[in-house]
Amino acid sequence: MDPEAAKTARESLDLAFHMSNILETGLDRHTLSVLIALCDLGLNPEALAAVVKELRRETLSSTPSASAHPPSS
Amino acid sequence: MEEEDQQKIPDLIKELVLRLLSQNPTSDSQLLNPKSPSFHKHLRYALRILSARLRPSIAPDSAAIAESIKRRLVTQGKSSQALTFSELYTLFDSKTGLGSVNNKWAVLHLLDIVSEDRRSTAGQLDSPLLLPNLALGDAESGDNDSWVLRRRVKDKGWSNGVLLVAKDPENARDVAFREFANLVKEENEVSEEVLVRDVLYACQGIDGNYVKFDSSSDGYVLSDSIKVPRATGIMVRKLCELGWLFRKVKGYVSESMDRFPAEDVGTVGQAFCAALQDELSDYYKLLAVLEAQSMNRIPLVSDSASSGNYLSLRRLSVWFAEPMVKMRLMAVLVDKCKVLKGGAMAGAIHLLAQHGDPMVQEFMRRLLRRVCSPLFEMVRSWVLEGELEDIFAEFFVVSQSVKAESLWREGYMLHPGMLPSFISQSLAQRILRTGKSINFLRVCCDDRGWAESATEAAAAAGTSTRRGGLGYGKTDALDSLVDEAAKRIDKHLLDVMYNRYKFKEHCLAIKRYLLLGQGDFVQYLMDIVGPQLSEPANTISSFQLAGLLETAIRASNAQYDDPDILDRLRVKMMPHGTGDRGWDVFSLEYDARVPLDTVFTESVMAKYLRIFNFLWKLRRVEHALIGAWKTMKPNCITSNSFTKLQQAVKLQLLSTLRRCQVLWDEMNHFVTNLQYYIMFEVLEVSWSNLSNEMEVAKDLDDLLAAHEKYLNSIVEKSLLGESSQLLYKSLFVLFDLILQFRSHADRLYEGIYELQARSESALPSQDKSKSRKQRNATSSEPGSWISEGRKALTQRANEFLQSMGQDLDAISKEYSSLLENFISQLPVQQHVDLKFLLFRLDFTEFYSQQHPRS
Repeated sequence: MDPEAAKTARESLDLAFHMSNILETGLDRHTLSVLIALCDLGLNPEALAAVVKELRRETLSSTPSASAHPPSS
Repeated sequence: MEEEDQQKIPDLIKELVLRLLSQNPTSDSQLLNPKSPSFHKHLRYALRILSARLRPSIAPDSAAIAESIKRRLVTQGKSSQALTFSELYTLFDSKTGLGSVNNKWAVLHLLDIVSEDRRSTAGQLDSPLLLPNLALGDAESGDNDSWVLRRRVKDKGWSNGVLLVAKDPENARDVAFREFANLVKEENEVSEEVLVRDVLYACQGIDGNYVKFDSSSDGYVLSDSIKVPRATGIMVRKLCELGWLFRKVKGYVSESMDRFPAEDVGTVGQAFCAALQDELSDYYKLLAVLEAQSMNRIPLVSDSASSGNYLSLRRLSVWFAEPMVKMRLMAVLVDKCKVLKGGAMAGAIHLLAQHGDPMVQEFMRRLLRRVCSPLFEMVRSWVLEGELEDIFAEFFVVSQSVKAESLWREGYMLHPGMLPSFISQSLAQRILRTGKSINFLRVCCDDRGWAESATEAAAAAGTSTRRGGLGYGKTDALDSLVDEAAKRIDKHLLDVMYNRYKFKEHCLAIKRYLLLGQGDFVQYLMDIVGPQLSEPANTISSFQLAGLLETAIRASNAQYDDPDILDRLRVKMMPHGTGDRGWDVFSLEYDARVPLDTVFTESVMAKYLRIFNFLWKLRRVEHALIGAWKTMKPNCITSNSFTKLQQAVKLQLLSTLRRCQVLWDEMNHFVTNLQYYIMFEVLEVSWSNLSNEMEVAKDLDDLLAAHEKYLNSIVEKSLLGESSQLLYKSLFVLFDLILQFRSHADRLYEGIYELQARSESALPSQDKSKSRKQRNATSSEPGSWISEGRKALTQRANEFLQSMGQDLDAISKEYSSLLENFISQLPVQQHVDLKFLLFRLDFTEFYSQQHPRS
């Protein structure tokens, strides 16, 4: 990537991160960058959001009872 | 490129899962290991979710999404953050080219949903929030597992900070929510924003998808096949009232516009339609704004989602409150004015404008100003120029085409149906008179000077003689304009009448000739024309009489009069039947030409004629009595000639003579007083009243009224009126009697002269007798008269005198009774002046003493 594009990308990420903070999404910069990349590639943002939600819950739920495993399909 | 991208995806996903899982600080270390089975499990799960939802459910409009995010921030009270967000978004959006994000909307949407989810799981006991989630989540995703997952979550007792009462799947609350969601889904076949859009269409008169116009029930209704909650249905119906009103108003406007070429709708109607269309354009603007707003929400492709729609039916009803009032007003106006036109329409609208609500007043005033402008234009052109441009018959002044002489009285009239209620009757009369005067001047008087008066008037009133300047609500401006114009035009008209057409002079001339004011002329006329008039009417030629009239004029002071006036004086023979004498059909006539014949119309001249006849008869009687007096002069009869007669005869002669004289005296007294009464009490007094009124008359109507009054009072006071019919008849009987007396007196004196002559011849006197006798003997009349001598003479004289005496007695008696009858009727007359006549006639109470009333 040429420096111009890199700069743009960095600034866009910054802006998006800023917005994400305002909206209190709790996403960190890296995760956000991954998500943006995935969105850009055409994935459904709703699906991505669902993934985020589920996995978060996963992690949170796995904390109190580490022994229980969600069944795999 | 795409393959490369495709290649990147799984890696990225892996990366994502890793990161997400690593966010949890207390996670197992083994999860972080990409190789661990749990990680793979998660990965697979994530992949499943991703593949399940391939299509986003919203339109890729980043601006709209940003808007809704902003609004949500604001509603949460974080307005400063909203501001920051919008700045950031602007900057973010402006980044284009390499290295920038292409699907910006996707990013925003993602952030939006994540933050919302986070917030909702952050533990708010907010059941409305729960509900939409239920509806959204369960309807959309066919993903049973997430539901199952959730259930499992609850199984574990983790409650997101919400204390759940029960943990089993048969949670009553959840069940209830689920049931309710289903119910709502069932009932709401149609969602609110669709209905809102339909209502907006209905309010422009267009049928929507569900709300259509039903002509049988005359309104916009929601088709019965659609199931909506009752409340919604009622609200929709209420809002559609606006659509019904709009339809009515629009229908009227377009109908009028169609009808216009057929000349059914007048200028006022057109102005009304134009004003209505202006109001409707305001209404369209409002509708456009509302429609834009109704689009301004999160646009969702599917119908059954309802998240945060800005324009709901309730908001719509608030917005529609004011337009509803206005539209209702317009519909009422349309109803009222459907069959009216012109001034009547303006008047009806004005009546409706008498309303307490200031908004209504303002609205109506605006409307009226436009509606009345054609009317005011017509008034202005009528008042300043006398022009009546009224193709559609909307003005309250109507004209009829009549001859020039009745232009003033009948040419123009007020049409009360078209008179708007804000123009009072007196103002309307003034308007009528002003325009009429201008037309009168133009047509009858050939005068052009009124144009300056018109411009002066306009200048004085502060308006111009061009269009505009007057309007509804400025009735006082109209008032002052009309006043000024009326003042000047009236003055000008009267000037013209008095100076150019010498109205006063003509009036005076009529009085002098037709009402026998010029005494010497009348005397001469009577002298000359009298003998002719005793012939039967059909033997008299009017040419001859005209010649005699000329002679009379030249012989009297009338010759010094204005030749124009003398020109107009003519003899007129009235239509006569058999047996009429000249006296009955003779009359004088005065030819008043345009424009004076506005005052001296046919009927007015007929009245003058009646009065003339009466006065002429009175004069004739007077003339007769004077003639009788001439023969009765005592000098003619000297008692010398009768010394030869016997005493008895002499006494008889004297007594007869005396009776004759007495009777003559009575009659003369009566006639003289009557004459005096007529001449002075009636004619002169009325004339002076008329002169005074002519001085102060302000316009032609005043003049006409004054002249009318003058004539009527003359007619009344000289016993020609309706109430004096009996009196009039008895008066004429008296006149006839007097004329009879005249002939008797003539005969008497003829006889006496004859007697005198015969007695002289029969009884010659001392000194002259011889010569006369000789002369008489030579030239004596043949006949046995002389030879009979004195005795015969005396006898004859006796007989003659006796018969004459009887006649005179008869006349005298009749006269007394008639006169008594006449006088007795006088006090009961209506008119006060006739009492003065009685006073004159019965000054010494001679008559009332003779026949005292019981």
